[in-house]
Amino acid sequence: MTETKAQPILDVHDVVKRFGGLKANDGVSMQLDTGEIRGLIGPNGSGKTTLINQVTGIYDVTKGSIHYFDRQINGLRPDVIASLGIMRTFQVARVFRDMTVLENMLIPALAQGQRRGKATSRAKELLDFALLTRLMDKPAKSLSGGQNMLLQIVRGFMINGLKLYVMDEPFAGVHQSIKGIIIKSIKMMNKDKNVTFLIVSHEMATVSSLCSKVTVLAKGQRIAEGSMKTVANNPEVIDAYLGGAKKDVHVEG
Amino acid sequence: MKRSHLQYFGIAALLLVLVVLPRMISDYWVYVITIAYFYTVMAASWNLLGGYTGQFSLAHHTFAMFGAYGSSLLMVKAGFPFWLSIPAVIVLTMLVSAVLGILCLRVQGLYLALITWAFAEVCRNYVRLHYAFTGGDRGMDTPLIFGTLKPLPYYYLFLGIAIFCIVLIALVMKSRVGFYLRSIRDDPIAARSMGVNIVRYKIVAFMLASGIAGMAGAFYGHSIGLISPIMGDFNEMAMIIIFVVIGGMRTQPGPIVGALSVRYLMELLREYAEVRIVILSAIVILVMRFYNGGLMQLWGQVRRRFGGGSDGPVSAYETKSS
Amino acid sequence: MGVLYCLMSMGINFIYGIMKVINWSMGEFFMIGAFVQYLLLTSFLGSRLWFVGVVLSAVAVFILGALVQKVLIKPMFVGIIDAKMEYATIVTISLAIFLRNIAVVIGGPYIYTPKDYAEPTQIFTLPMSGNRLVAFIGALVLLAGFYYFIKKTWTGKAFQGVAQNRTGIQTAGVNVLKYDMLAFGIGTALAGAAGALLAPIFLVHPQCGMVPTVRGFEIIVIAGLGSIPGILVAGLALGLVESLGSAFISPSYVDIYGFILLVAILSFKPYGLFGKTERTV
Repeated sequence: MTETKAQPILDVHDVVKRFGGLKANDGVSMQLDTGEIRGLIGPNGSGKTTLINQVTGIYDVTKGSIHYFDRQINGLRPDVIASLGIMRTFQVARVFRDMTVLENMLIPALAQGQRRGKATSRAKELLDFALLTRLMDKPAKSLSGGQNMLLQIVRGFMINGLKLYVMDEPFAGVHQSIKGIIIKSIKMMNKDKNVTFLIVSHEMATVSSLCSKVTVLAKGQRIAEGSMKTVANNPEVIDAYLGGAKKDVHVEG
Repeated sequence: MKRSHLQYFGIAALLLVLVVLPRMISDYWVYVITIAYFYTVMAASWNLLGGYTGQFSLAHHTFAMFGAYGSSLLMVKAGFPFWLSIPAVIVLTMLVSAVLGILCLRVQGLYLALITWAFAEVCRNYVRLHYAFTGGDRGMDTPLIFGTLKPLPYYYLFLGIAIFCIVLIALVMKSRVGFYLRSIRDDPIAARSMGVNIVRYKIVAFMLASGIAGMAGAFYGHSIGLISPIMGDFNEMAMIIIFVVIGGMRTQPGPIVGALSVRYLMELLREYAEVRIVILSAIVILVMRFYNGGLMQLWGQVRRRFGGGSDGPVSAYETKSS
Repeated sequence: MGVLYCLMSMGINFIYGIMKVINWSMGEFFMIGAFVQYLLLTSFLGSRLWFVGVVLSAVAVFILGALVQKVLIKPMFVGIIDAKMEYATIVTISLAIFLRNIAVVIGGPYIYTPKDYAEPTQIFTLPMSGNRLVAFIGALVLLAGFYYFIKKTWTGKAFQGVAQNRTGIQTAGVNVLKYDMLAFGIGTALAGAAGALLAPIFLVHPQCGMVPTVRGFEIIVIAGLGSIPGILVAGLALGLVESLGSAFISPSYVDIYGFILLVAILSFKPYGLFGKTERTV
């Protein structure tokens, strides 16, 4: 008797994305299983951000489809996608600069229809965990870049029924201590609430320790997928990063 | 809490002063202040749309003109009574703004400004040209609510309208809708990604603000007896922006303070019609360039210097955590 | 007539392309161009040399525009200002009001009539004002010149680069701030030239910038921001719609035809006919 695999939480099927003459994604496919922490890596310009923008509704695909469980989500508005339990963070932290840190936290909760009192206490808990409590009533624009990245991330945790969290370069330019909190929060949400993560990052060591599996994009196509160790020794991957200079590179771990 | 009690006390005292004011000043000044209340409503409602939500409508004054002409025309040509024509024109204003909103709020804010601007000019010219219907440049005589030109009842009418609108806007901004609007201004893409339906709320803000303008315009029309296409002149829109910027955008008291103080200033400079606008527009440019928060920012700094109060959040909309 | 308004649209669009800012005071630069032209003609040029006046007016407006940019707009790009769009909109609108009212203060609320540029002539069987013809040709010349400049010259290509990728072109060594100033100057100069060209038609007075600005903006919305040939198409379309409407329905509603066209196009194409949806993230 064949055992049917559980339905993937995210099914990206043969996605092509064109911007005028530029083909940013050229037939990319990947599937995420519920509860995974997946890394999405690749050299600059390989189409990673474009792909996740299509997953989160910023763009529609040119060709192909994206399914969330059994629901087709490509082409839906970002706010509709958010209501389905999908959150995302941006490479350059997008926070509501003239609103306070606490108010930032409340936005996704209020948009979902949560009651303000409950949402506020939940927000305070999360801010406490993120060590941002003392900044709670400060406008977001007074925070540092790294703090804003952290704020972005914990803001997404305010949603009830968060299932998929897409993060674009969450560790870029972020101070070590903040990075630690981010990693801790990802692991915690993954373990306690079974949240699936798709993380775009260049920080190989972090990706390696956090993600059980990585997908590699280069020049708009998927060129490899597997554990970090497998992928790092893949000659095509090395080629993509080093641009033709073939070297023997082995990654520990 | 001490501070909020003090605030309420202050507001109550201010209201008391405003209520007895007419007895202490000349009829002319009562009239001036009444008009200032009208502009306060216009400023506060524009602040909701342009300040808090970041949607720059350049046809705010047009909706007031629409309200004024609309209500009077309904009365004169269609025989509506006051209590019907005014709500009717408010509904009509909101419908028109809904249509305009759907057309141009789907894309970036620049288009809203362009289209409302064109719309404002078109409407003004229409009123001017269609003289058989609207009286054209000569203006149109309007039925007066209180049947008299004495300023006193109108003073209280507009004071009441101003209070009503200010409270309404304050309640909206405190509600979750207020959160959505502010998030739309700060970062529409992030807001969308967090689940806020930005198109819907942009339109809501637009309809609400324009509806208030229409209402204010309707009452205005019935209070001064003669309305003309000058209401739709771009200078009117510029004045509204001036009031809000000088008073302090994105604050509750800002538009009120701005409208009242600038109108006062304008009245003092009455003889120098164009010069005063030159000065005012120059002040706005300077404020934007160097002193973004306007008078309210000044007030905040003064208070901090003397009250030694907490270094509170910049936004007057802070959700205090305690 | 549509072609004439295109000059305004070109200026606005150009500035927008470079700095992503809509300059609401374009109408006032138009007006300044008209005034300068009038002054030049009445003081020492005389009406025969009107085309020299046009050039000089354009230059004068260019200088003024560049100055304005340096003082008011540049701070947006050197990190001083926080909410850029809001700042730009309010400042340029205030500037428009400022300039318009200063014109009244200095020159008085009078209307000045410069001498005709050319005699009334006939095109086929339609009588046409010589001024309009001249202005039309002048506008075409300017538009063609501008097109050539943008597409063929090195500086023009630099402008294209700034519009397409502001950060990228900096790495190629281009001083974008300088180009910003030049762009603003050129954009306003186009408006000033339009003002000078159209002076005998619209007459010279403080409000004379308003109608062309409305049309200029309508053209931009119809065409969509960011498309240069689109502006010509939109300009012609607008001119056509206005003429037809005036001829067949009624000339007094001339504004409304343009606006209806605008509304119609926006309902189907919210970004305008040729507008590019900007890559936002």
